[in-house]
Amino acid sequence: MSLMPSIINGASMGAIYGLIAMGLTLIFGTMRVTNFAHGAMLMLAMISAYSIWAVTGINPYLLIIIIGPLMFVLGYCTQMFLIRPVLRAESDKNDPIGVLLLTAGFSIVLENLALMIFGADYRMAQTSFSNTVFTFGNSSLSAPRLFGLIITLGVSALLWVFLQRTEPGRQLRATGQDRNTAALMGINSEQTFAVAFGISCALLAVAGLVLLPFYYVSPSVGGVFQTRAFIVVVLGGLGSVPGALVGGIIIGLIETIAAQFMTASVTSVLIYLVFLIVLFVKPSGLFGTKLD
Amino acid sequence: MQLKLTKQQQLKKWLLIGVTLAILCVLPFMLSKAYFVHVAIMCLFWAYMSASWNILCGFAGTLSLGHGIYVAAGAYVATILLNTFGVTPWLGLFVSCVVASIMAIIIGFPIFNLRGAYYTLSTVAIGEGIVVLLTNFREWKISDDLIIKIGGAEGLTMKTVNSPLFMQWRGKIPYYFMILVMLIAVILISGYIKRNKLGFQLAAVKDDEDAARALGIDVRAVKLKAAVISAIFTALGGVFYALIIRFLEPAAVASGATMSNQIVFGAIVGGSGTVMGPALGGLVLNLISSIIQYFLGGSVQGLHLFIYGVIIVVMIIFKPSGFITVLEKLYYKYLGVEISEALEDTESEGESDGK
Repeated sequence: MSLMPSIINGASMGAIYGLIAMGLTLIFGTMRVTNFAHGAMLMLAMISAYSIWAVTGINPYLLIIIIGPLMFVLGYCTQMFLIRPVLRAESDKNDPIGVLLLTAGFSIVLENLALMIFGADYRMAQTSFSNTVFTFGNSSLSAPRLFGLIITLGVSALLWVFLQRTEPGRQLRATGQDRNTAALMGINSEQTFAVAFGISCALLAVAGLVLLPFYYVSPSVGGVFQTRAFIVVVLGGLGSVPGALVGGIIIGLIETIAAQFMTASVTSVLIYLVFLIVLFVKPSGLFGTKLD
Repeated sequence: MQLKLTKQQQLKKWLLIGVTLAILCVLPFMLSKAYFVHVAIMCLFWAYMSASWNILCGFAGTLSLGHGIYVAAGAYVATILLNTFGVTPWLGLFVSCVVASIMAIIIGFPIFNLRGAYYTLSTVAIGEGIVVLLTNFREWKISDDLIIKIGGAEGLTMKTVNSPLFMQWRGKIPYYFMILVMLIAVILISGYIKRNKLGFQLAAVKDDEDAARALGIDVRAVKLKAAVISAIFTALGGVFYALIIRFLEPAAVASGATMSNQIVFGAIVGGSGTVMGPALGGLVLNLISSIIQYFLGGSVQGLHLFIYGVIIVVMIIFKPSGFITVLEKLYYKYLGVEISEALEDTESEGESDGK
């Protein structure tokens, strides 16, 4: 039995985990906030994209023109109106517990809002290319997964260029390194936080649209991806963007390759185990710098 | 609460405590429906859980989102002992406590090296890992005639014996008093810890871990002590949960969304780190959600949880230190103590004993 098909499938799914984790790690890297509403926001992107797709039937990938900016605004506003006041009140504390729970509470709000409007059903966007399969040698990959892999890698590269080569990107990194010094250099840290949050949500929009043609949509879909994203982020190093992509692919590979040898549920225990081992042995992760 | 009160103020304080206790004792007999008694029990249950969580996380300032595993330890151990071996929960609860303390030590030993988000994320991972394990193990075959049923995803039903010898009482009211006694016990012990050496050490760790270490506090040992106490109380809560619900589902007992996070929300809304705050927070939050569920439950799916979430978000934004701060002011006003004087008093005391 060849492992090649599961490696390709694992890499494509892992790249999406990586994309979701990138948003999480970006927020943590700049603001030191763990966003427990990340999964709920992904769900929101998927559900709104699904609803538009169900009405108009246009190619889900094109919906990024609508969903991307919408999610950016959502993230920006979440930071400005929800997180900022709590972050200010807790600025003297080492661990912003309140912010963390605020995002957890916000995820309950979002999930149940979606449940009220959308219902608890599982739905899937059957696009024209959902059932197309590409074959390479003796292994094959369905079209949505292949497109997903390409888009994910492209967006990751764009994010990398944005962070390294543009002025707002430099501001983000500077604020992440030391927000007080960055503020002395004339960077408005609260503005930067909001931009980081907005970009994180825009990345979720991309991830949501990529998932749409081959993954079911329901108000509870975020939970799975959120837990995976947490694991990926710690594996790659909290705050490290390339680490998120590599960590995502590693987790995706573990998931699909282990599934060849054991049941799916044992696989998820294995992933938690890998996560805990990484935490205890090297808490800064593969690419992270030591934070505390 | 460490004020030097005059005789009259002492009297007022005990009057308040007495009246509250009297109301709590009479309450179950005033409620017309068994359902209302059940709601009252669950309110006290969540108050108890939040207060138990607070002993570790509130006092030491760490955020554990995985306390559901201790609930599961208590509930599953007691139920399995009763179902498989016929051991009464009166004895089972001791075994639950032992199991929970061992878990707390095994988990706590490596995990207390981690800080902030790392600690929280690892508690999430351990919690979800345990849920997956419980969901997938239906039974444990030791030998041919000894098979321990764990239930798996279908859940585990506690055998009904209906005898006080097995902690299974007729009607709901005995359970009400059981959880009331447990709640009072955990509050008294929280207060005792807070006023004594362990409490001051925990407060120092919460304030600044490195400074506490520099002062000679063995941070990990202090946290482990608190973790064991917290785990034991949480596991006892788990035993109570098994007795009142009599049906254990891995997701409902141990998962973040239904158990661990709810415990934490109650504590935070009330005011984590204080003695009374978490208990009051857990009680009020559950009361509100029960009321919403009672009136709106069937109408729109998800509505009551939506409102619940909004309340949590609003509370954290506007009262990040919990509504206990408001109640504390009212309490001092009732006693007739000047507030500024009271604050000074507690602060100086904390400093002198903390070192």
